[in-house]
Amino acid sequence: MAGGIERKSINRTHGPDAPHGEFHRVGKRARKVDGIGKATGQAVYADDIQLPGMLHAKTLRSPHPHARIVSIDTSKAEALPGVHGVITGADMPTKYGVIPWTPDENALAVDRVRFVGDEVAAVAAVDEDTANAALRLIEVEYEVLHPYLDPKESLERHDPAIHEGNKKGNISKHVELEFGDVAAALASSAHVIEDDYAFHGTAHAPIEPHCAVAQAGHDGVLTLWSSTQIPHYVHRALAKVLDIEAHRIRVIQPHLGGAFGGKSDPFYFEFCACLLAMRTGRPVKFLLTREETFYTHRGRHPMDMHFKTGCDADGKITAVDSKILIDGGSYSSFGLVTTYYAGQLLCGPCHFPTYRFDSTRVFTNKPPCGPKRGHGSVQPRFALEIQLDRLATKVGLDPIEFRRRNFQGSNVETVNGQTVTSNGFVECLDTIETASGWKDKRGKLPRGRGIGMAGSMYISGTNYAVYPNDMPQAGIVVKLDRSGLAMVYTGTSDIGQGSSSVMATIVAEELGLRMDQVRVVAADTDLTPVDLGAYSSRITLMAGNAAVDASRKLRKQVQEAVGEHLDVPAGRVILADGWAFDAQDGDKRIPSREAFELAESKFETLAAAGSYNTPERGGDYRGGTIGASPAYSFTAHAAEVEVDFETGEIHVEKVWIAHDCGRAISPVQVEGQIEGSTYMGVAEVALEDHAVFDDPAHPEAGLHMRPSLLEYTIPTSVDTPELEAHIIESIDPEGPYGAKEAGEGPLHGSLPAVANAIYDATGVWMTKLPFTPGKVLAALRAHESGTPTGEEA
Amino acid sequence: MRTLRFRLNGDDAEIAAPDHWTLLEVLRYRAGLTGSKQGCDKGDCGACTLHVDGKSVLSCITLAADVDDREVTTIEGLVGPGGPDVVQDCFDESGCLQCGFCQPGMIMAARQLVTEDPNADRDTIKAALASNLCRCTGYTKIYEAVENACKRTLAGDTGRGGRLADLGGGGDEARAGRESA
Amino acid sequence: MLRLPAFAYSSPKSLEAVLATLAEQPGRARLIAGGTDLLPNLKHGIEEAGLVVSLKHVPGLDGVEEQSDGSLRLGAMLTLEDLANHDVVRARYPALASAAGQIAGPHHRRMGTLGGNVCLNTRCVYINQTHFWRESLGYCLKKDGSACHVVKRGKRCVAAASNDTAPVLTTLGARLVIASAARGEREIDVGDFYTQDGVFNKDLQPDEMLTHVIVPPPAKGLHSAYGKLRPRDSIDFPRLSVAVAFVLKGGAGTAADPGKVHDLHIVVSALASTPVKLRKVDELAEGRTADETLFEEIAAAAYKQCHPLTSIDGDPAYRRDMVPVYVKRALRDALASGASA
Repeated sequence: MAGGIERKSINRTHGPDAPHGEFHRVGKRARKVDGIGKATGQAVYADDIQLPGMLHAKTLRSPHPHARIVSIDTSKAEALPGVHGVITGADMPTKYGVIPWTPDENALAVDRVRFVGDEVAAVAAVDEDTANAALRLIEVEYEVLHPYLDPKESLERHDPAIHEGNKKGNISKHVELEFGDVAAALASSAHVIEDDYAFHGTAHAPIEPHCAVAQAGHDGVLTLWSSTQIPHYVHRALAKVLDIEAHRIRVIQPHLGGAFGGKSDPFYFEFCACLLAMRTGRPVKFLLTREETFYTHRGRHPMDMHFKTGCDADGKITAVDSKILIDGGSYSSFGLVTTYYAGQLLCGPCHFPTYRFDSTRVFTNKPPCGPKRGHGSVQPRFALEIQLDRLATKVGLDPIEFRRRNFQGSNVETVNGQTVTSNGFVECLDTIETASGWKDKRGKLPRGRGIGMAGSMYISGTNYAVYPNDMPQAGIVVKLDRSGLAMVYTGTSDIGQGSSSVMATIVAEELGLRMDQVRVVAADTDLTPVDLGAYSSRITLMAGNAAVDASRKLRKQVQEAVGEHLDVPAGRVILADGWAFDAQDGDKRIPSREAFELAESKFETLAAAGSYNTPERGGDYRGGTIGASPAYSFTAHAAEVEVDFETGEIHVEKVWIAHDCGRAISPVQVEGQIEGSTYMGVAEVALEDHAVFDDPAHPEAGLHMRPSLLEYTIPTSVDTPELEAHIIESIDPEGPYGAKEAGEGPLHGSLPAVANAIYDATGVWMTKLPFTPGKVLAALRAHESGTPTGEEA
Repeated sequence: MRTLRFRLNGDDAEIAAPDHWTLLEVLRYRAGLTGSKQGCDKGDCGACTLHVDGKSVLSCITLAADVDDREVTTIEGLVGPGGPDVVQDCFDESGCLQCGFCQPGMIMAARQLVTEDPNADRDTIKAALASNLCRCTGYTKIYEAVENACKRTLAGDTGRGGRLADLGGGGDEARAGRESA
Repeated sequence: MLRLPAFAYSSPKSLEAVLATLAEQPGRARLIAGGTDLLPNLKHGIEEAGLVVSLKHVPGLDGVEEQSDGSLRLGAMLTLEDLANHDVVRARYPALASAAGQIAGPHHRRMGTLGGNVCLNTRCVYINQTHFWRESLGYCLKKDGSACHVVKRGKRCVAAASNDTAPVLTTLGARLVIASAARGEREIDVGDFYTQDGVFNKDLQPDEMLTHVIVPPPAKGLHSAYGKLRPRDSIDFPRLSVAVAFVLKGGAGTAADPGKVHDLHIVVSALASTPVKLRKVDELAEGRTADETLFEEIAAAAYKQCHPLTSIDGDPAYRRDMVPVYVKRALRDALASGASA
């Protein structure tokens, strides 16, 4: 307890019910609050901001994967006409990192560069061409160091260490946790599957490249507009690195063109834009090129995974044992959390009585990895779900039946001490089984065609706030106006997932308004209370509860005032669809605008704050709150594939997804999240590969192999399978009206479902992503010739 | 530097810009029409798609100088006095808009298709949108939006004011609410 | 945004004016048609231009004219979309329409032109990158450097021909019309146009311009097809491409009696700086029944002759494995698609 202050309980959950008997807004198919602005070009994104006198900034980057900076001479660049500011690492020596325990980043490199593309200097000039010309005039002398491009080498060797002074050599984080006696359970298992799995590394590739605009007001207020999904953490990091009191900094997130976790670190360009704006006295825009977004990265970690899973003769899982090597790239980013998530998030929807994981994240001289949609758990989930299918095959059970048999149930504690509340996984299984025609297809399709499935779970936010504090995780303010408008001030970042629409829907529901009677101001640190940001799928549950909390305070006031006016008990006053009326006599009614006036007359200016913090959750051990969530979503995927035996190409024809999101506050948006997640997961199976050249003997060592949207092939319309989304509503006690997350869970099963379908189609277990046609072809040939390969144990 | 003269969203435009500027740069940073987006720098993503003489082109790899005397229509130009275009309205209505960054380009590609082939089937729609990457949606709801735009076009519905009509809806309650205001 | 380098721009109103400009500023003046190849390359700094000369206002270069000998004269400014959709082209040269329709994405095809695709710059994973990337690499043979990163210690650039129309036009025996102010018009077989130099793989002088492509009349019974290996079904350049053309004589057009193959041409591309004409497959196939046995033999011969390099993304061994598969599939497609009308 900080300073002896007892933390006030603000875990206000509000039950699953509609505030007025039936839902008027929640669960309805409605337009999004920002849809038409985006469809007409009115929505303003960071690069759409043009300020008078604005300068343009660019970054000088390291051409070496690992080198010591011997000297930097910026004098020629500074002398170039049109150049207004040149900065280097010496200007911002304070280290930072999104996780406060691992601050190992500098806004610009200090002494050392750690990947090709690492940031060395920044220039602000009258236009981009001049800034680019100035970069070429900066002279940097490097002493090239040994590049670490293989994570296994980083395990064994650390001379020189990538981060000097790291007591663990080149190890970024190591976590080893065991729950129960895994060795004994495996020894007594009827069946054990043991195999190696690999995930290769992928990028978020949002269509909007990162961009920030900074303005240093002459009133002493520094304003940053940035394409960030974590304005609050950026705010804190700016204060620390720039050494400015936080109250003199304002961070605004304009409309954001996709993020997927890739915009959830404080970034160099944000610090540089600010410092250059402060130095020059002029607004500064920092827009990345597409290539630069691949260096900025924070994509999904490559992982080498060894998994051992046992079950008894009836197909009951006995133990899961994993050892995972994680390639973190050059900096920590969220890596501490990633290392935990790689183990902590697997303990459902199937129950296992014993569990051990041993995860090690190492540094390499590659662009830094971080959180991508389904942070930390997509890779081990891929391994685990293939293991489960193989066990099912051994036992002679249908894969769906195998999972039913191992279903953990609702309101249970997992083996690693997490609390699962609602759990609609069995309904998810039933749904995909029926929708996909599973029983007529599994094992019955012609050779080369197959169907496979997978299950998964994911968090709805985490108890682990990235910096320890006793304040709410989510705060919101609702103000009612005499015009009949409800204004919602929320720190949440709408990154396209629709959080502003969800907040508006909740406030409209609670206060009985039409959607046009609610407007949302979001993600502006001056105007909105703190919300920790768009990550860990936390907003709907956490900020949603805060929105209900604030709205109910106001609802009570409005009901009382209207009750008095209509001369009925306050409890009989219903607020719905822009009206306040007597539940027993619908003719007794007044428009909401008048109701708000009555309430303002009776009480005071109508505004209320709402807050949310998590209930006590998590295991009683170090790291026990990491991955602990108030509620978990569950998903089942079924994928039908066609494998071309001549080319090794996998065509994913269709994916059926059933996702338990608790209450679907906005069904259209939930479907969108399910479809988008699954699209993104399927893309990671064969098409997408974020890789650097890794042979240190070659001059291309450390260079990114595919730093463009031509080479990094994200699927087009004609490459995307048919997607059929089903919503399962388990109604959770913790979420607003019972809602849980929908944005990340439905990605996980996409990958193993395809792998399991390939087995059904071909009899081959593919285990090492990406499933490039060449790899698939080699595995098929080995299978046909009876030669066991690494792909097939 | 040259003075470019072309038709821009129905008006005569005269804009001074260097010879090596792309149409996208001129529209965004000189004309202030920031609806067309830049995603990939070089024609790989389609976010900058707009119409030159009614046809979808990639404005990040079109020289501004090359559209002299041509008719340029951007996402802003689809909106008429009565409100958004039917394709814009259908995109909004379908809920396919997530981050929205690809959507101006996607809508311009769809607009051309709906004009030329309102009977397009799903495969035709997919093919027509295959230069426009979307990272959010898995495309599913985009197809639904385009199909709906086709349907409404065939029914003679221009879509103008669709959303506002929606908002003004809500039946007698809304009217009463407005009257009492 | 990735910026274009500064250059001047002109848009002559006649072919004569274009050629005069090229003659005045050879090498410095660069032609732009659709811009889908040139502008990314300029942004990457792998091509340079002091003056960009637009062909947008030059009349008479976008037509499809039938000539008295039955050949088709295609204007260099014909868009790839129009080429792919042209009724006569589709009927006579389905492989050409198919190849044009598989180039990049729909918007690129609407912008890009036949002439641009025929003259497409060669491509390599080590060259189609930004200046920063190439500088970090230490550059390469094709531009600014002296080392090849594909063929270590190689002295000749092996950047790969990646245009989809070229292999088809080669199998069809097309001719290119090239004009210059100094020397007037000349014609060259498309099969002789490409040279073994990835830096600049065309027999085209800096003062010259490709104005037309002439495709000879299809022989009676001509069958043709085009196949393309690429990661996505849109936008991507080929990782391997195969064009086949042969004349089918006799036979009942049935599976049992398909007819005999004559005058077989197969061209494989995305392998080397030129499209690769397979040797001796015509002799192997001449007069033989167009059946799977023959196709398998041809495919095996193709495999022996094709050696993909790491210049193009994708495992070269896999791409080589795909040569016989794509050759066989193209032969089947050609047989199935019926004779040119």
